Amino acid sequence: MAKFTPSLVAVALATAIAGCSPAEQQDPQVIINANPYPSTYHALPNSTMLLKNATVLTGTGERINDADVLIKEGKISAVGQQLVAEGAVIVDAKGKWITPGIIDVHSHLGVYPSPNAESHNDGNEMTNPVTAEVWAEHSVWPQDPGFNRAREGGITTLQILPGSANLIGGRGVTLKNVPATTMQAMKFPQAPYGLKMACGENPKNLYGSRNELPMTRMGNMAGYRTAFIQATEYKRAWDKYDADYAAGKNPVAPERDLMKDTLKGVLEGDILIHNHCYKAEEMAMMIDLGKEFGYHAGTFHHAVEAYKIADLLAENGNCAAMWPDWWGFKLEAYDMVLENVAMVDAVKNSCAIVHSDSGVTIQRLNQETAKIMHAANDNGFELTEQHVIGWITANAAKSLGISDKTGSLEAGKNADVVIWNTNPFSVYAQAEKVFIDGAKVYDRQDPAFQAQSDFMLGQQ
Amino acid sequence: MTRFTQSALAMSLSISLALSTNVAQAESVAIINATVHTATEQGVLNNATVVIENGTITAINPQSSQADKTIDAKGAMLTPGFIAAMNDMGLVEVGAVATSRDASDKEANITFDPSLAFNPKATTISFARKGGITRNIVTSGGGESIFAGQTFVVDLTGEFDSVIASNTGLFVQLGATDEGSRAMGMQQLIYKLDDAKKALSQESKTQKKAKDSSDEEPSREDRVIAAVLSGEKPLIVAVDRASDIIHLIKLKQDYDLDVVIVNGADAVVVAEQLVQANIPVVIDAMRNLPDSFDSLHNSLNNAGKLAKAGVKVAIALPGDSHSIYALRYSAGNAVANGMNYDDALAAVTANIADIFHLDSGRIAVGKPADLVLWSGDPFEFSSKVQKMWIAGEEQSLQSRQDELRERYLNKTDMPAGYR
Repeated sequence: MAKFTPSLVAVALATAIAGCSPAEQQDPQVIINANPYPSTYHALPNSTMLLKNATVLTGTGERINDADVLIKEGKISAVGQQLVAEGAVIVDAKGKWITPGIIDVHSHLGVYPSPNAESHNDGNEMTNPVTAEVWAEHSVWPQDPGFNRAREGGITTLQILPGSANLIGGRGVTLKNVPATTMQAMKFPQAPYGLKMACGENPKNLYGSRNELPMTRMGNMAGYRTAFIQATEYKRAWDKYDADYAAGKNPVAPERDLMKDTLKGVLEGDILIHNHCYKAEEMAMMIDLGKEFGYHAGTFHHAVEAYKIADLLAENGNCAAMWPDWWGFKLEAYDMVLENVAMVDAVKNSCAIVHSDSGVTIQRLNQETAKIMHAANDNGFELTEQHVIGWITANAAKSLGISDKTGSLEAGKNADVVIWNTNPFSVYAQAEKVFIDGAKVYDRQDPAFQAQSDFMLGQQ
Repeated sequence: MTRFTQSALAMSLSISLALSTNVAQAESVAIINATVHTATEQGVLNNATVVIENGTITAINPQSSQADKTIDAKGAMLTPGFIAAMNDMGLVEVGAVATSRDASDKEANITFDPSLAFNPKATTISFARKGGITRNIVTSGGGESIFAGQTFVVDLTGEFDSVIASNTGLFVQLGATDEGSRAMGMQQLIYKLDDAKKALSQESKTQKKAKDSSDEEPSREDRVIAAVLSGEKPLIVAVDRASDIIHLIKLKQDYDLDVVIVNGADAVVVAEQLVQANIPVVIDAMRNLPDSFDSLHNSLNNAGKLAKAGVKVAIALPGDSHSIYALRYSAGNAVANGMNYDDALAAVTANIADIFHLDSGRIAVGKPADLVLWSGDPFEFSSKVQKMWIAGEEQSLQSRQDELRERYLNKTDMPAGYR
C-alpha cells in the first residue's frame, strides 16, 4: 500500500509557495504511535546446543533421518547429519523426533482462561457489532494455567484472538509461549497485529436477538462494508494531512479514532485479517469484500467448508485454518469432512492450517493433524509426516506474518524446537523438551523446567 | 496426490447395500486368526477363532466349526465394540438448532425419559460407528432441577429398534452452581432419598396391615427413587469437587445405593475412599484444565492413577455426541499418560458395561456379538475399523461425511449438486 511520497514536483511547489508568502509556522506533526504497548520479551537463558541423531521434520517438507540440529545464540544454525560444534551442549535425541515449535493461529488462552469465571471472561466485547478499537492483548491474563499445558504439548507461538461475537471483534496478538507476569513479556517482537472478523451465525444471532443490526447475513455484510467505508474516509483524511504537512503546510490533524486506526492499519496492509468464517459462500464474499476496499482477506478460521472452495482460496492467496473433526454445534458447522485440511492443502499454492480454538486441543495439534493425515490417506491421499507438520508450523507462521522468524528449522530462524519421544503423529507421542529462541522452556523429565501458574500454587 | 478411491468407494457402497438387504441373521460367522482382546480374565488370545450365531458369541476357539461364513482376520485385533456413555447421541442433530434438539428440558426431572425423543437416524450415529462404538448410554442434559432425568441404552445400528433399554439409571447433577448454594442440591437429593425410603417402609407397613386398602399408588417419582434405593438403577452423579464426592460416598453407605461418579475431577484426591466404597468413576480422560474451582485436580494422569488405585474407571466423552468417534483416542492418551493398556481397553468396554449394567463389553461365550476388527492398535490414529458387528450383524462404516468428501473430490464439468 503506497503511502504518500512527496514528489519532486510537490517539493518544488511547496518551496515556490514558501517563496512568495511568509513561511507558515508548522505545529509539531501528529504521528500516531503504532506500538504503544511494546514487547518486553527477552529469550530465557540459552547456550549453544547440538541435538543429535533424531528424525527431523524441518517444516519445509523435508524429513532427515539420523539428523542433528545445531542451535547458536537462539537461532537455528544448521540442520543435517553428523554436525560438529565445539563447546556445544550435546543433547542425545536418538530415537526421538524433532520438529519446529508448534504454532496455533487461533487461541483464546489468557482472554478466556481457566478457571472459567465471569471475572476473567475478557474475550468478547459484546457491546457493539464493530469493536475494532479493542485489543485482545489488553485482556490477556498471563497466569492462565492453559499456557503451561499448551507448552507441554509443544506450542511455542500462539495468536490470541478476541471472540467471534462481533463482525469486527478487535485486534489479536501473537505471543511467545513463555511463562511471564505481563502480557508484554510474552509479546512476539515485530509480529504484525491480527484483526478478528466473524461471518455467519454468531454476530447475527447476538445482535439480532437485541433487534439491532446485524440480524441477518446480509446485515453482516452491510456492517463490514459500513465500517470499511468509514475507515477509507479516515485513511483519506490522514493521508491528506500527512501530504499537506510534508508539503510544508500546517494542516489540522484529523480527529483520532481508535476504531478506525485499526481498520486503517488493515487498509495499509500492516494488520492481517483473521476471519472466523465457516461457509463456502461467505468466504467467497469476504474475499471480494477485501477487494472492494483494497485489503487482503487473510486467513479464514474454522473454515469447515473450505474443501468446497479450495481452488478459490489458493488463487486468492488465502490461508484456511481448520479443525479435523468439530461439527454439528451450529448449522454452519454441519458439513464437516475429516479430510478438509488435506483437500485444501492438495491445491497448488494453498495454505492449510490446523488450529485449535480450544485450551484442550491446543495441547495436541500434532494429534489433530494425525487424525487428518490418516483419514485422508485412507481415502486416496499420500500424505507424509514431513508434509503435514507444515500445517501446524510453517503455514501457521505464514498466516501470522512471522514466517521469516519461525515455523521451520532453517538456518537463521528462531530456534523454536520440540523434541518428541516418538513419531509426533502417534497417539502415544509426547513433547519431551521444548525450546523457544534456543532456551529450554519445558522438559518432561525435569521439574525445574515445568512452569506452573501462580494460580495453581497451594491448591489442595 | 494420486487417488484411487472412486472405485474403492463404489465397491464399499455396494457391499453395504448388500449387507442391508441381508437382514435375516441366520447365517453363522467364524472370525479366524484374530488377535482377540477379550476384556475378560482370558486376556488376549492369539490366532483365535470367534464364532457368532444368532447375534451372540457362541464359541471361542472351538475344536471345529461349521460356520456359514469364515472371515480371516490375518492376525488383526478383534475387540469388544466400544461403549460410549453420558452423551446426547440421537437427541441432538445440530446444537444451535432448537428444533433439532431434545436432550434438555427446563422441566426435566426424576421421571424425564429422553429415550422417547431418540432418533436412530441422527447423522451422529453412523459417524460414531467409524470410531468402533457399538453401544451407548445416552443421557439427558437436564433442566432446572438437579435431577436431569433417566439414562437409556442404545445400539448404534441406526435401526428403529435400537433402544435396548430405557429408564436405566437416574442422572443427577451436583456441585458448583451459578446461583445460590450447592448445599441446596445435595440437600434435595438427601431429602428425596430419605422421604422415599420412609414412604416405602410406611407403604410396606400399610400393606401388611390392610392388603385390601385402596391407598393411592406410589407416585412415578417415588417408583424411580425406589428403584434407585433397591440398587436396580444406578444413581449417576455428575460431580467434581472432593467434598461433594465425600457426601456421595456417605450417601451410598447410608442408603446402600449403586452410585456412579461422572467427571470426578477430584476423584484422585479421594481415590482410597472410592475404592473402599466401591464407587466407579466415568472420566473424560482429556480433561486437564482447572476449568472451575471444582476441578483443580484435572490431569491427563487421572485415569491411570484412579485405575492403579483400584477404582473401576470408564473413559467417556460426556455431553456433545458429534465427535464421540474419538473415544478411542482418549483411551490412547490415557495410556500415553500412564494408564495400563488393558485398563484403558476395559475403560471403554467391560468397565462401562459393568457400571451401567450392560450385558456387552466383553468377548465371551453368551455375550452379544458386538465386535470390532481393527486394522491395527485401536487407540492409534493410523488404525481404522475394518469390520464391525452389532448383535452379530455387520455394519456399514459409511457416513454422510464420506458422501460430502467424495462429492467434492470427484469434480466434473457439472456443479457439485449433480455429483
